[in-house]
Amino acid sequence: MKEEKKAEPTMETVDAAEAKREPKGGITRRGLFIGVGSTVALLGLGGLRYAGHNPLNHPPGGQDEAHLVSACIRCERCYEACPRQAIVPAKIEDGLLGMRAPMLDFNTGNYCDFCYEENGGVPLCVQVCPTAALELPADAQVGNAETGETGNVIIGLAEIDPSTCLAYRLTGCRDCYDACNYGAIELKDEGGANPIPYVVEDRCNGCGACQAVCLSLSSGSIKSSERAIVVRPIEA
Amino acid sequence: MTAQKNNETLTASTAEATAKKSAAKGNDAKLKTRKLRTAVGAVGFVGLTAGLIAGVSTGTLSGFGWDTFSLLCPLGALGTMIATKTMLPRAVVSLLLIAALVLIFGRAFCSWLCPTMLIDRIRDFFRSPKKRRELAEKKNSEIKAISKQEIELLKGAKEGHACGACGKCQPKPHGKVDSRHAVLGGALLSTAIFGFPVFCLVCPVGLTFATVLLVWRAFSAGDATIGLILIPALLVVELVVLRKWCSNFCPLSALMNLVSRFSRTFVPVINDEKCLETAKATSCSKCAEVCEADINIRHPEFGLRTMADCTRCRNCVDVCPTKAITMPVFVGKKAGKTVVEIPDPVMDDELRPGLE
Repeated sequence: MKEEKKAEPTMETVDAAEAKREPKGGITRRGLFIGVGSTVALLGLGGLRYAGHNPLNHPPGGQDEAHLVSACIRCERCYEACPRQAIVPAKIEDGLLGMRAPMLDFNTGNYCDFCYEENGGVPLCVQVCPTAALELPADAQVGNAETGETGNVIIGLAEIDPSTCLAYRLTGCRDCYDACNYGAIELKDEGGANPIPYVVEDRCNGCGACQAVCLSLSSGSIKSSERAIVVRPIEA
Repeated sequence: MTAQKNNETLTASTAEATAKKSAAKGNDAKLKTRKLRTAVGAVGFVGLTAGLIAGVSTGTLSGFGWDTFSLLCPLGALGTMIATKTMLPRAVVSLLLIAALVLIFGRAFCSWLCPTMLIDRIRDFFRSPKKRRELAEKKNSEIKAISKQEIELLKGAKEGHACGACGKCQPKPHGKVDSRHAVLGGALLSTAIFGFPVFCLVCPVGLTFATVLLVWRAFSAGDATIGLILIPALLVVELVVLRKWCSNFCPLSALMNLVSRFSRTFVPVINDEKCLETAKATSCSKCAEVCEADINIRHPEFGLRTMADCTRCRNCVDVCPTKAITMPVFVGKKAGKTVVEIPDPVMDDELRPGLE
């Protein structure tokens, strides 16, 4: 073999060398396999777009869920920016597509005040989002806790479940009514012995203050998977 | 008598074993910059995750920044613009900034900051010494074989050798584009078709941060999710099951490669007058053995990747027994030094008229 290499190039050695060469362009067979395999896998992953998912409450500017999913790169800056830590990553259980995209969780006692207190009504999550995944429309008016204006940025709509609400059990609980800054919860039989709260839908912007204070799961013996007042996302 | 002889051979073989052991260990001990890199990576990662947990606005490596300033992941920036079909000034600015950084420092991100580097280090740590030695010896013998063959052939060259024999004419395991670029293309194609940054869902950099965040939330808010198992599992698949993620799969590395191939700063350069292989015709190639980017610096034709993928990890500089490798600020063609060129397959063919 060595002899042959040292000899002048004959047709055979040329052929041998040529045969050993990889296809032009430099991609090896293994490389081609990896490339094609990964492309197919990534296209399959893209198909998640059409897989079902649960609608979620998104931070201000994320109400157009399709846009949020298109633009969000999961950089996690909005979680950090939220002064109330109300923004959490969405779970896999709620859909693979939206996994790790930002959602609002009101069950930890936090709610969204559109950064009225912290940043004069400019939501910090929208301000820091580098990919404009959270973006308020030009005519956006966020809720104003001071004046009680609801605004036109609607995160969701509060909904009371009479079967678990403590007030319906005549306990006199009116925490959600007290928490609401926008007058979106009113009481039946106000001033009476047993006021019962109800939601005024066109004043609710889904800020979650009511859900954040709801006691139904923490006091008493009510078994339920969710609190008695819950903000439901508005399905487009 | 025989017993004594036996004893002698025994001591000889143990001596050899210890020599081998210390050779394998010797490399590790010499890699000073590697320790520094691990520290830099760890401090960066811990700092950013602490920020994430404490709510200090510093972002993650997918979008590092404060206030309204963000240095976005280049692939994320491209993906989000393709998916939404809009030009985002912030994304364009960070793309340009990253391109400038890559032009100067090459793929330094990969060896200094990327959390997968840390995961790799943790994996190394938990390998048994035996397994570690086996891996080191395997790599050593592979690289040594190449260098011996090359030295042999170069000796022959003086007597006039057949073209097609030495490295320059061997089939190359690398080209201008490779499997990573295909993964990058697939990711962008899928993003364009389905309209969301597809790769972000499985990006190991993002998933590492996500894992920490999920674990934190599980403990602080009692928020358990399947993600706690699935996300680390995905990381294991990517970084352990798919072998050589960084060199074969990572589309980020592919994207950086497109710019870093033009980088001429801080690239390792071999001083041929000092290098054992060129100066003394002694097989060494330690630089190739320790390279984290699968580059064979001494015999570039045989590496899986070319100098375009240098991550400025400085392993080669640290390990060189004669201190022949340096990383000058600007790589010019200086006398006595080999500027390791990025071999151009097309050019090579033209230079071999005898083979066409």
